[in-house]
Amino acid sequence: MDLYPVWLSFQVATSATALTLLAGLPLAWLLARRRFPGHDLLAGAVVLPLVLPPTVLGYYLLLLIGSRGPVGRLLGTLGIELAFTWRAAVLAACVGSIALLVKAAEAGFESVDPRLEQAARTLGRSEWSVFWSVTLPLAWRSVFAGTTLAFCRALGDFGITLMVAGSIPGLTQTMPLAIYDHVQANQMHEANVLALIAVAAVTALLMGLGRLARLRF
Amino acid sequence: MLSLAVAKRLAGFALDVAWEAGEEVVALFGASGAGKTLTLQCLAGLVRPDAGRIVVNGRVLFDGTNGVNLPPQRRRLGYVFQGYALFPHLSVEENVAFGLSGRPREERRRRTAEVMERLGLTALASRRPRELSGGQAQRVALGRALAPDPELLLLDEPLSALDAPLRRQLRDELGSLVREWGKATVLVTHDLGEAFHLADRIVIYDEGRVAQAAPKSELLSRPASEQVARLLGVRNILRGAVIKATPEIIELRWRGHVLEAINSPARRYLPAADTPLAFFIRPEYVRLIRKDRPSPDPGHHMNRMEGRVVGEVDQGTNWMLHFRLDGPEPPAQGGHDLEIEVPKLVYEMLEIARDRRWTISMHRGSIQVLPSS
Amino acid sequence: MRRAALALLLLSAPVSTAAAPPAPQPFTVYAAADLTFAFKEIVPLFEKAAGARVTLVLGSTGTLAKQIENGAPADVFFAADSSFVDQLQGQGVVIPESRALYAQGRIVLATALTTGLDLRTLGDLARPEVRRIAIANPSHAPYGRAARQALESAGLWERLRPKLVYGENIRHTLQFIQTGAVEAGIVALSIANAPDIRYAPIDPALHQPLNQVAVVVKRSARPELGLAFLHFLNGPEGRPIMKRYGFLLPGEF
Repeated sequence: MDLYPVWLSFQVATSATALTLLAGLPLAWLLARRRFPGHDLLAGAVVLPLVLPPTVLGYYLLLLIGSRGPVGRLLGTLGIELAFTWRAAVLAACVGSIALLVKAAEAGFESVDPRLEQAARTLGRSEWSVFWSVTLPLAWRSVFAGTTLAFCRALGDFGITLMVAGSIPGLTQTMPLAIYDHVQANQMHEANVLALIAVAAVTALLMGLGRLARLRF
Repeated sequence: MLSLAVAKRLAGFALDVAWEAGEEVVALFGASGAGKTLTLQCLAGLVRPDAGRIVVNGRVLFDGTNGVNLPPQRRRLGYVFQGYALFPHLSVEENVAFGLSGRPREERRRRTAEVMERLGLTALASRRPRELSGGQAQRVALGRALAPDPELLLLDEPLSALDAPLRRQLRDELGSLVREWGKATVLVTHDLGEAFHLADRIVIYDEGRVAQAAPKSELLSRPASEQVARLLGVRNILRGAVIKATPEIIELRWRGHVLEAINSPARRYLPAADTPLAFFIRPEYVRLIRKDRPSPDPGHHMNRMEGRVVGEVDQGTNWMLHFRLDGPEPPAQGGHDLEIEVPKLVYEMLEIARDRRWTISMHRGSIQVLPSS
Repeated sequence: MRRAALALLLLSAPVSTAAAPPAPQPFTVYAAADLTFAFKEIVPLFEKAAGARVTLVLGSTGTLAKQIENGAPADVFFAADSSFVDQLQGQGVVIPESRALYAQGRIVLATALTTGLDLRTLGDLARPEVRRIAIANPSHAPYGRAARQALESAGLWERLRPKLVYGENIRHTLQFIQTGAVEAGIVALSIANAPDIRYAPIDPALHQPLNQVAVVVKRSARPELGLAFLHFLNGPEGRPIMKRYGFLLPGEF
């Protein structure tokens, strides 16, 4: 049977998690360490994807990045296809999971004693250096937990992916979409195999990550 | 070398201070919440004052009117936080080297080794902060602050996190380290003994304002006001009334006696007659006149008064006697008029436990008048 | 810390090469859920006949239409009704000349064998043993709409409404029935032919005809293949299969 969805899902989830860290860590730091007008609005916007029904979210995203949407058309002029490609699957997974990282990282950053950051400043470190050498290392447990959660969520995304990437077999049909498709077509054997692989792979991954976490003080 | 004037308003508190210091150790002394740490934070650039001007060694760090506000990164100050704020995830060596990141690797290594050597930290180089004792942590914090060779060293309550016996020892260590290093230093403390032991100059903070800034020798002998005297924990602060004032001598009336005191030399204080006047005499300077000697010499024993010891407090190495003067009026300080400090040997020799009636004297030079602020 | 970040970045890069489909682009057929079983049989046959690789994407008509509207890579669209195709036509996303009525659907009353119930008419749904009834969501699924129309025509809609459970599409609806979550339901004939299901026909006069319309999408690189597939469906190889799945074909309605 076709195991491409498993391969695709893990790659999409990894890319999505990388994107989540890239966008989510600065966001979390901003929310934790800075007060500005619109702060609470931003906090709400981050959590919104957890509240809205995934297909609804996917629909709004599609309006944005589809062939008729502003972003879609812009990218189109640059020759970049986004909707209904693996890139859209990455975007969908990222949108659905970023809140998990942001919230965890935000709590982690807040728990870092601000005086340590102040000490770093008096010792001549730039804001970026303060974040990278003091704040982040001290909050790493929360960031790690958030990243793990975000990865798992990205792996399992269904509704958003279905809308913006479609369930195109061999192209964007990720593991959750493939399992669903098999179930709907009454192909229970294939569905079970995929589900089992998913469980085994994630368990192995979490065990490995857990061991890694314990190694580091 | 350091000239500071800052004003900052916070909820329910207003800071408005100005003082200067040379190439010395200056202590900001006062009660908790008086604005000392806030001042330090303004100095370091961690807090932005509402207005003012801070100049260190000719460099303007902050100027409210010209919009100058150097970020902490560029102020070249060493800051030792209360509780030390050592980076828990770094080793001692990495902590000390933290401020040297801009430099070439070889220089960084050399300088770190040098600083650790000087502070006796070399053996602890790979330890983590949580494995260190209080004294070791203090030295690491100092090393970290001093490694980049800052122009000014700031210490925020360096000893308050420690318990008494350790405090003593570390205070002495800190004192010698700071002096040996020779940096201009600003130190915040609410402990007077610490301030006196470690600093050359003391700035007294009282609710967001400076009550007095002076070299320490001047402070105890010549507090600028009754309030300062109280803040310094001076005892025997008394109130009398002026009889006559000349540039050299002030005659005052107190508890039915006429006392002669020398005038405050710095102030040339010349109050009119009948002006109320505060003054103090240090408990160790009130003298009991020995009964086994011949008549006391007026040149020695001035301002004589009679009374009796009504109580005493054991202070370890001496007794603090509570002395009440003869006379119908109520005593000046609760149950007694004066506190008299007497070494234990003297107490036993004079048999004060048994013999309660005494004549005391106060040299006019020991009576310090306190101009009203 | 830095190494972990770098590793993460490197791991995510290969997706672009792994997920890129082998050139040339396969021919993509977007089809409504009720065509699941029929098309899964027909598509391989067409692939052999036309010598082209076909990607079959199944979903609910409404969702697929929305996606096509926003640039989904469909070459041809087989909807379960005509309204969504009308919409796409209105938006100029499809080739109007290619529009064709390829089949007419039928709805049936279905129940799982395990319930032991023998339901023959819509009126049987009112029986007390039937606690819950599943239909596809009438607001966006054509077969759900037909189910509602049938119930309304039979004067049962208001009465049975409290017992209704909506599936996202008819495949979903069938699942409710198969798993025993509901005692009975109304689904498409084309998917009711499962071994664990017993079904009874519903009079087509009770609802608007389920005219299933297909259309070729404008952005298709190979519109001729779309038309070819349409033809194939009605041809000697496709017709018997469609019939087997209960569809009425052009010429029969």
